[in-house]
Amino acid sequence: MSPFHAMLWAKWRVAVHTAASVRNESWLKIAVVSVSALLLWFGAFVAFREGFEWLRRFDVSPGKGFVGIGDIVMLRMVSVFSLALFLMLIFSNIFIVFSTLYRSREVAFLLHTPTGYRELFVARFVECVIFSSWASAYLGSPLVLAYGITAKAPWMFYVAAGAFYLPFVVVPAALGGLVTILWLRIYPALPARTLPIGAALLAGGFFYYVRSVLNAARLAEDAVASGTGIDTLLALSSQTQSSWLPSQWAAHGLVLASMGRLRESGFYWLLLVANALFFTWIAAETARRFFYSGWSWILGRNRMRLRPINRGLLNRVEGLFRRLPQPARALVVKDVKLFWRDATQWTQFTVFFGIMAVYAATLRNRAVPEYEHYRTWIAAMNIGASTLILATLTSRFIFPLVSLEGRRFWIVGLAPLTFRQLLAQKFWLSVCTTSAFTVGLVVLSCWRLGVEPSAFVLAVYTIIAANFGLAGMAVGLGSLYANFQEDNPARIVSGLGGTLNFLLSIAYITFLVVGETLIIQRRALGILGDGARFWWGYAGVLLFVTVLSAASVFLPLKLGHQHLSRMEF
Amino acid sequence: MIRLEGLTKRFGEKLAVDGLSLQIESGEFFCFLGPNGAGKTTTIKMVTGLLQPTSGSANIGGFDIQRDPLNAKLLLGYIPDSPFLYEKLTGREFMRFVAGLYRMDEAYAAKKSEELLELFEVRDVADQLTEDYSHGMRQKLSFASCFLHEPRVVVVDEPWVGLDPKNIRFVRNFLKEKTQEGLTVFMSTHTLAIIEDVADRIGIIHRGKLLHTGSLPEILALASNPGNLEDVFLELTREET
Repeated sequence: MSPFHAMLWAKWRVAVHTAASVRNESWLKIAVVSVSALLLWFGAFVAFREGFEWLRRFDVSPGKGFVGIGDIVMLRMVSVFSLALFLMLIFSNIFIVFSTLYRSREVAFLLHTPTGYRELFVARFVECVIFSSWASAYLGSPLVLAYGITAKAPWMFYVAAGAFYLPFVVVPAALGGLVTILWLRIYPALPARTLPIGAALLAGGFFYYVRSVLNAARLAEDAVASGTGIDTLLALSSQTQSSWLPSQWAAHGLVLASMGRLRESGFYWLLLVANALFFTWIAAETARRFFYSGWSWILGRNRMRLRPINRGLLNRVEGLFRRLPQPARALVVKDVKLFWRDATQWTQFTVFFGIMAVYAATLRNRAVPEYEHYRTWIAAMNIGASTLILATLTSRFIFPLVSLEGRRFWIVGLAPLTFRQLLAQKFWLSVCTTSAFTVGLVVLSCWRLGVEPSAFVLAVYTIIAANFGLAGMAVGLGSLYANFQEDNPARIVSGLGGTLNFLLSIAYITFLVVGETLIIQRRALGILGDGARFWWGYAGVLLFVTVLSAASVFLPLKLGHQHLSRMEF
Repeated sequence: MIRLEGLTKRFGEKLAVDGLSLQIESGEFFCFLGPNGAGKTTTIKMVTGLLQPTSGSANIGGFDIQRDPLNAKLLLGYIPDSPFLYEKLTGREFMRFVAGLYRMDEAYAAKKSEELLELFEVRDVADQLTEDYSHGMRQKLSFASCFLHEPRVVVVDEPWVGLDPKNIRFVRNFLKEKTQEGLTVFMSTHTLAIIEDVADRIGIIHRGKLLHTGSLPEILALASNPGNLEDVFLELTREET
């Protein structure tokens, strides 16, 4: 067995043992996660199916040998989705390669064995591809299936979709690896946060580009002017059609396969495979030459710091918590400092708020619709978007907080501090940090849209309740499924508990948004009127939001507290 | 077998290891001694090829660890103070994995692996996941895997953490016996009693500089007043106030 095969074999055995360890989990938990994942997948499938069916309505009997306008728009939508996925994969692979290749203890172990840097890179690269691509497979498969059914594609289309997927995810993984290795080779003298900041800037640039290209206001104005806005949509999405883009090869190949034109589709597949192999080879050769120097530099980097790091902005932030009583203050300051000093944590947090900033900036340009029910729809979508970002934030950053006490848990365990106080501190830290942004965003969007006062109040109340509900869920389930063996927050989140938390958070916000939308939309459409029926319904929704959020706070926190109290450290 | 020439490591403005030159012969048990932060671990990381020296070189069996790392690492075994194991592999699977990394013949590796698992008393738990191992068992598995490819040089960094007195004695005697078969041991430890027992030569490092090397009597003779190794060590590494 060569070192390369040994590394893959070991990973395979680790995967087998990890899968087998699921047997030790509660069947209820497994059932909840599986059913929720299936429901989410099915929801995405229905949404894509409806979307494609809607686009097909623009077909105006093109006649034999011609392609209908609906087909062209569908192709454009597949291209846009494919490009977005491609860029997201490059971005996520920069982070994954950095943590898998440069920050992992396993690599230090492998580097004192006679394993070549090229072999080491390729073995880890396989892991990165799997790690980065499962989510895109989960999100992309309902789109492909919906497209296939709508386009009445032959069965070979689905085989082709599977065949296109592998080279499609390998290209961005290789590019992400290449960028990371070269970056750490070229800029070792720059501050430690250079790489994440660079990645965050790239992401910011990307979002700015998307925002300027797919400007909702222009689309909306053109839709009003021309009746459909199809011409503008086609013009704007033409930038995703470059024949230099691998995402375009994949989209084109798939659409050709759906038409049964397998020979032409095969050309695009071979083009994609050739490029996947080419970029993997380039990345592997770059790793052979430059990986070790970058890795060695990272290993010694922490020792370069001669200035005390407990100065500057972070120390001033500490002053904000002066009024907090001890021991809550000590815990909050510790959590904030650990978070800030972990570059992978705060950069991802920044990216989330970057998305929110782009969203808020887009609101400024959006033409305010004339009709009240349009405005309420947009306001409901705002709540949906804000709570979705909030759920992602709490799942990613708040859920692992208790686990991150990790092997240091004895410090907290021995301190004169109850678990109740510990959970309360994590809960309030979450509520206070996320509320400031999300409530502000909802207030801004409602104000911009000029929604009527009752809808305004309901939207603000819902987002405040969601901040409490999602924080309670994340802290409670984070304690119930605490993983003290892992010190990488991303891995803690990707466990069973983290997945369950995210899915339950999605279910929770779905109930909130549906409840809110039902009442304000019915009023806007004049179904409920302005009288007692509406106000009873309004009070009912407020009560529903309150009860659901209170249950989301107290139930998980109670279960989490019980679990921690029973644990032996 | 180990030759260090002007080995220097600078972290920014901080000089961690300063022009360290040393030759350790085949079959020699060399103990590396120094206060915390003296540069022991940095030196070990450069010897094992984890860190790139700022200048100078480290040779293992005639191979420069930077220029010819694969050949140098084939001769090398490394036991860190806190061993890395794959939590979701069994002890036996971990041994098979290590054999693959060293390109060993599978049949021979399997036989050798069983011998070492037996020798280090981890055979009974070899089919359990290493996540269930105690610190001592992890350390013993780390020792077993280190000797699987029959290295000619072993670098050991404070290996006693988690081992009980019986196992400490066993490992100490095992390493000493191996040096009589030609193995070179480069060990960093603060356990002075063990150094007194096993060391053929001792090196004392302080603030990145190798202050003295010599046999135990030679090192003891450096003290201004007669005493044991602890007295000498404290005197040689005393901080100026």
